[in-house]
Amino acid sequence: METKQHETKSFSLPLGPIHVALEEPMYFKLELEGERVKHVDITSGHVHRGMELLATKRNFFQNVVLTERVCSLCSNSHPLTYCLAVENLAGIQVSPKAQALRVLAEEIKRTASHLFNVAILAHIIGYKSLFMHVMEVREIMQDVKETVYGNRMDLAANCIGGVKYSVNLELIEFIEKSLVRTEKHIKEIIDIYATDKMILRRTTNVGRISAEDVIKYGLVGPVARGSNVRIDTRKTAPYLIYDQLDFDMITETGCDVHSRAMVRLRETLESIKIIKQIIRNIPEGELNTLLPHIPAGEAMARSEAPRGELFYYVRTDGTDMPLRLKWRVPSYMNWDALEVMMKDCEVADVSLIVNSIDPCVSCTER
Amino acid sequence: MFKFLKVLVKNILQGPATEAFPLQPAKTPDRFRGRVTLNPDLCVGCGICSHVCSGDAIRIIPNEEKTGYHYTVWYNSCCLCGSCTYYCPTKAITMTNNWHNSHKQDDKFKMAEHHFIPYLKCDGCGAPIRLLPPHLATRIYAHSPVDIEKIIRLCPSCRQIATAERQGELNESNPE
Ligand code: SF4
Ligand code: SF4
Repeated sequence: METKQHETKSFSLPLGPIHVALEEPMYFKLELEGERVKHVDITSGHVHRGMELLATKRNFFQNVVLTERVCSLCSNSHPLTYCLAVENLAGIQVSPKAQALRVLAEEIKRTASHLFNVAILAHIIGYKSLFMHVMEVREIMQDVKETVYGNRMDLAANCIGGVKYSVNLELIEFIEKSLVRTEKHIKEIIDIYATDKMILRRTTNVGRISAEDVIKYGLVGPVARGSNVRIDTRKTAPYLIYDQLDFDMITETGCDVHSRAMVRLRETLESIKIIKQIIRNIPEGELNTLLPHIPAGEAMARSEAPRGELFYYVRTDGTDMPLRLKWRVPSYMNWDALEVMMKDCEVADVSLIVNSIDPCVSCTER
Repeated sequence: MFKFLKVLVKNILQGPATEAFPLQPAKTPDRFRGRVTLNPDLCVGCGICSHVCSGDAIRIIPNEEKTGYHYTVWYNSCCLCGSCTYYCPTKAITMTNNWHNSHKQDDKFKMAEHHFIPYLKCDGCGAPIRLLPPHLATRIYAHSPVDIEKIIRLCPSCRQIATAERQGELNESNPE
């Protein structure tokens, strides 16, 4: 029998901006050779909302709420970092109690955000029942958010000078009970993600990026830590009360999609550790301080959002509206590295690799 | 795979994770930030709520005769941020835990709460004022020997004079 040698043909394949495997609109032009990706072109800007301009048309109070709507998954990190920047500018001292409550909100959000991302990983590889299970575990954190803060996504926890909420004994008990449940489930999930053949086959050695490239591209967050690069703003430039808390920086050495997922999963356990330390030991004090006049000047602030380092810059002229508000989000650097991660990958892995950087299009394009 | 099968079996035995809404009520926490509502008796018309409102959902407009003001809050513009409640000095505007905001397209302009809030006359000079909410007055004048009943019916300037006069009287009768 004559076997015909298949010729590998080169062609280009458009993916997105609307596509089943993408959670948010992004447009990839893939240059393929057979099933292999040779080159990617990323086009963005589909959901640009002009939020930085909007911010200069709103007063300082309204901007707390506006920045909370930049992105739903990091929706607490944005107003927090914005408030930190304005507080730096005006020299406002935030009480230890308010700082503890800010960390509490941050870590609850981080746990839910990381679980969401690893759930989507299962969804993309077609492991629907695992996807459902992880989402159900995340639901415990969603209930915590709804019960403590009054909303499943936008916590409205921060205000300039402190926090807007407090927790009573009943809520602390509720959080504690929920943590016990989540922790048990997460340990089980970590075991599944670390050993399940189907997951390992699809995610190990896929979307590799070396530590050198991580540094070259300036990557941050779980993407960097998945390639064993030790950066975490909570450790490297501690803010709030992070330097007084006992938790570890999680790194993995696989440099692939699987390592990034494992970093996220293991980080949720660290977050739970932090939440436990805080609710057992909330300092006494004021929730908020009296607002002074916000003078003309400029300031910045950094924090570790679930996706990596978030940076805010604010410039004011003494009125109640900022002259300029600029933020740099972690996904901005991370998605540039997709061209490295996707080099020579299979077409079928493209969405998996995109998900592994936990991209947030709405905050990158704002 | 076996590890996950164990989880799967547990989940099946546990039954559905969802709530049977609308056949059964859905659990809503007390703190849930739902539709805003105004208690017109407590509102003093200071406008702080509309200043901080990021959805631009609150309108406060005095009527032509200047006998009061129209207060409107539009549910569909409200983004449920809770800033109004947080910054309102009298806690006149609050958030309920009612999340049933779906409505027919035809009804969209009815999705608002409206109040006409009349001014009173200051007992001292007759200027249009709103009553200082008693619970606030008791806090403000906690260490001041004034008559709360009277003071809440005065405008800020008359209140200042009344407080000073009362303090003066006391100082005279009790020089120590
Ligand atoms: S609702 Fe509160 S903040 Fe708004 S005008 Fe009335 S008293 Fe002022
Ligand atoms: S909850 Fe927020 S958006 Fe809604 S009326 Fe109050 S301040 Fe405005």
